[in-house]
Amino acid sequence: MDNNWLLRARNLTKIYGEAAPGVLERTGPKFDSNMDPKTGAVAAVNNISFDLYPGEVLGIVGESGSGKSTLVQLLYFDQDATAGEVHFKPFEDGAVNLFELSNQKKRFVRNHLMGMVYQNPRDGLNFRFSAGGNIAEKLLMAGVFHVGKIRIRGSDLLTHTEVPVKRMDESPARFSGGMQQRVQIAKAIANNPPLLLLDEVTSGLDVSVQAKVLDLIRSLQQDLGISMIVVSHDLGVIRMLTDRTLVLKHGQIVEHGLTDQILQDPQHGYTQLLVSSLL
Amino acid sequence: MGKLLEVVNLRKRFEMHILNEKEIHALEQVSFNVDEGEIVGLTGKTGSGKSTLMKCIHRTYLASSGQILYTNGQGQTIDLAAASEHEVIRLRRSEMTYCSQFLEVIPRVPAVDVVASGLVARGRSIEEGRSDASSCFERLSLPKELWDAYPSTFSGGEQQRVNIARAMISRPRFLLVDEPTASLDIRTKDAVIDMLIELKNTGTSIILITHDGHTLRRMADRSLHLEDGRLKEVVYA
Repeated sequence: MDNNWLLRARNLTKIYGEAAPGVLERTGPKFDSNMDPKTGAVAAVNNISFDLYPGEVLGIVGESGSGKSTLVQLLYFDQDATAGEVHFKPFEDGAVNLFELSNQKKRFVRNHLMGMVYQNPRDGLNFRFSAGGNIAEKLLMAGVFHVGKIRIRGSDLLTHTEVPVKRMDESPARFSGGMQQRVQIAKAIANNPPLLLLDEVTSGLDVSVQAKVLDLIRSLQQDLGISMIVVSHDLGVIRMLTDRTLVLKHGQIVEHGLTDQILQDPQHGYTQLLVSSLL
Repeated sequence: MGKLLEVVNLRKRFEMHILNEKEIHALEQVSFNVDEGEIVGLTGKTGSGKSTLMKCIHRTYLASSGQILYTNGQGQTIDLAAASEHEVIRLRRSEMTYCSQFLEVIPRVPAVDVVASGLVARGRSIEEGRSDASSCFERLSLPKELWDAYPSTFSGGEQQRVNIARAMISRPRFLLVDEPTASLDIRTKDAVIDMLIELKNTGTSIILITHDGHTLRRMADRSLHLEDGRLKEVVYA
């Protein structure tokens, strides 16, 4: 069982500013800040370790600035980690630390084995391309070059994510926020990734659109068995989507557990505060 | 009959860090067993600790001390108070189900799919799930026009039937059920009781919380009475 993980992260760390000795020891929930008083460096992600299992949906909660987004951006190589290791079974059976790969190999992992959905569709989509073109871009990067196949896959994906196929050749700039988000999801799963990273994907959407996006994510998980890491400050989203949850504060994990336990019997003062603040 | 569950000296305290470290003592030194295929009722006044006990077994609550030894379908014994998160998830997916008093509605998912998802999660097809869900609804007299509607707008009793159907559909090996008949009329109540007894007859062990004497008398092989978080007496049916 313990060796059955899909992704194993150990001591993940990201420091903005000078990574001087002692920064990690002088920051975190104990100090009520992620900023080192001595150097001014910010430890956005401070020694985080966790395992993700196949088919599992892991939630990451915490207030703004707790390091949630930075954490997934490290996993997707959007940012370089200061320290730590990530092993990922679909790549060389998890034998190598992804952070030590060449840029070319990192691109391979990102394009072939992972998908990412950002809070802001503009980060995940190229608005100068059409909706179909965005999906084609991901497929081209994953090594699919046949135009006809790309076109068919594109319309299948848009159908699946309930984006009208007849609008495939329009720019997502002309779509509503919810539709843009669904195009982004279609693009992120175009390469059938074993891992999907979702960063605040429903923030800023109105509730009916939010329900539709959440339902889409749930059905993707159910139908395709994709493992997911879901970052959200919305405990309702976490409750609906995830099996297990990590609670982050000032760059560190203050509590982890089964999602229903985190929400109904939180152990840490910070989680108790979060849960009791729920509407 | 083999032993399914052995609870030993279970204690649960809630420590509220945001309320000046206030402590609430919910369970004290609770010990009891459940045999395979048995229905055990939990009774006691509101606030006596029935739901807390059930949630500790399901690991929705973390026990403060004591053991909750569960023997799984493969004959291995697992301490639910200390098992890894993954081990508990695996048990919940394969053999242990908790049915709360309230339906946690999933937005914009039709009732029939809410229930079918209990089977789909265990690897069956959605068509199979829907067909089983429909027959469950039929037995629970849930009006047909509601089957493909969204449960968020259902009445209390309708939601409760969706919840019960979802818990029972996968025929779990171990079922924890909190007030399954509370907001139902007598005929529907009896339908729920019949279905739970049928489950028992196919081998399911059940822990049941109820305030309803009729439900308790018809179902429980034995009942445990809780008072202020302590087990007071064991009543045999």
